[in-house]
Amino acid sequence: MTDGIDTDLFRRIRDQVAIVGIGHLPFAKDIGRPISDTAVEAIQLALDDAGLAAEDVDGMCMFEMESTHEVSIARRLGVDGLRWWSKISYGGGASAATIMQAAAAIAAGLATTVVCHRARNRGSRASRPWAQEREIVKDDKALHTPWGLIRPVDVIGMWAHRHMHQYGTTREHFGNVAIAARKHANNNPYAMMRERKLDMETYMNARVIGYPLHLFDCCLETDGALACVVTSVERARDLKQIPALVHSVAQASGPNPVHLANYNNTPEMLTTAAFCAELLWRRSELQPRDMDCAQIYDAFTPLVISGLEDYGFCKRGEGGPFTEGGRLELGGELPVLTSGGGLSEAYVHGFNLILEGVRQLRGTSYNQVPDCKATLVTGASGVATSAVVLRAD
Amino acid sequence: MALHPDFPLPDVDDPVMKPFWEGARAHKLMQQRDREGGKLHWPPKPMYWKGGERLEWIEVSGRGEVFTYVVAYEPFLPAFQDKLPHIMVVVQLAEGARIVGYMKNCTPEEMRFGMRVRVAFDDLTERVTLPVWEPDR
Repeated sequence: MTDGIDTDLFRRIRDQVAIVGIGHLPFAKDIGRPISDTAVEAIQLALDDAGLAAEDVDGMCMFEMESTHEVSIARRLGVDGLRWWSKISYGGGASAATIMQAAAAIAAGLATTVVCHRARNRGSRASRPWAQEREIVKDDKALHTPWGLIRPVDVIGMWAHRHMHQYGTTREHFGNVAIAARKHANNNPYAMMRERKLDMETYMNARVIGYPLHLFDCCLETDGALACVVTSVERARDLKQIPALVHSVAQASGPNPVHLANYNNTPEMLTTAAFCAELLWRRSELQPRDMDCAQIYDAFTPLVISGLEDYGFCKRGEGGPFTEGGRLELGGELPVLTSGGGLSEAYVHGFNLILEGVRQLRGTSYNQVPDCKATLVTGASGVATSAVVLRAD
Repeated sequence: MALHPDFPLPDVDDPVMKPFWEGARAHKLMQQRDREGGKLHWPPKPMYWKGGERLEWIEVSGRGEVFTYVVAYEPFLPAFQDKLPHIMVVVQLAEGARIVGYMKNCTPEEMRFGMRVRVAFDDLTERVTLPVWEPDR
């Protein structure tokens, strides 16, 4: 795929835009407030963290599958007036894309200080969209939903099972991912699973959800609201936090995309992440070997294994064995999901992975990788996705 | 068994997908082919697509093999409760494209990657028939 867009824009973004504030509400099973409300507070917390005020904000970038509006969030927050905004689709595929679009807007001079956020209430069972399919299914959904392929665990299970068959990936490999995320969550006071230990025996004996995936292969369902503040590096250096520089950014749908059940992409059934990775690293001076840790989108454990392959940390098919020997845990060669991720901290469409990436570069993670200089944050693969490389100033 | 009120019926009037669903009603598995080169397009493209004049809908063999599959057990979606354990498949058609379906007349124990399958048809309503799969024994 050619990337003949404005390569100069990527140079203007690279290390010239930074995340300067982060904030989130305590994660909960039932937060008891609508997302139109929690979003505002999360953004306020991120602005406080940055030492900025609502009056400094002139741009907003968000993603959601529900229905809240930039203008009402900005009004409640006290923003004087937005000059630029965008809303990105595709659920968890959009997380890192908010940073890309904010960075692009800042580099292009469309905005100076952009708040990105995700507020999501999904702790309650009744809130899950696949539990309430009642209407005639249209568009891409009609390609898989009528056969019962509705739950994300089954859609992703298709990839996982094929990976097991083709490369010999095992349930233990998936388990290594779940256990690494859980160990990290056990050190994170905000993690939903901070008190719950997970060992391989418990992992293996868990109930099946959609074979081949079992309970601990699946992310949590959480209510949460998270935000970050993005601005130029010049402004960032005058603010109170250590800036996390935006180094490289990408969004990609891949060829012949189908939303979610994207099985005709290529003969190998590559996910969207493979195409996103190609763009990301081409725009980056840093490469996978330069990453001190990685926050790889983890709605389900197999996505981390395919993500390790897609983003070039190991060869195609070697993602399973790559998880062995504690390699993904703090102290290992490539710690992943150092906050606990969607599997064990909170499932908030991956926005917590962005915040954790920033903490690693500030040196304030609960699972701090010593002298962390760079980290990768990715969005959901399978759907139209995104990724960002963050580096220390 | 009566169709569950929550069954996620497809929009059979979708202008692009209509030939697929009309074919299914007549118990034919339809695919869209590019006359030049014979490549199947799945999902199908609109006929106003550039090169759309080269597109045609054809009945395919209805044979293929299991590319990958998942099995749902209790608890699952209410509309599919009577099918449990429910085996959902991605079938690689003999003609090349990969489509989603489910298995009938087959147990999870019988499932194999690369297993040969043939199309069957589940008539759900007067207007909706689903192409589904069974072992090609």
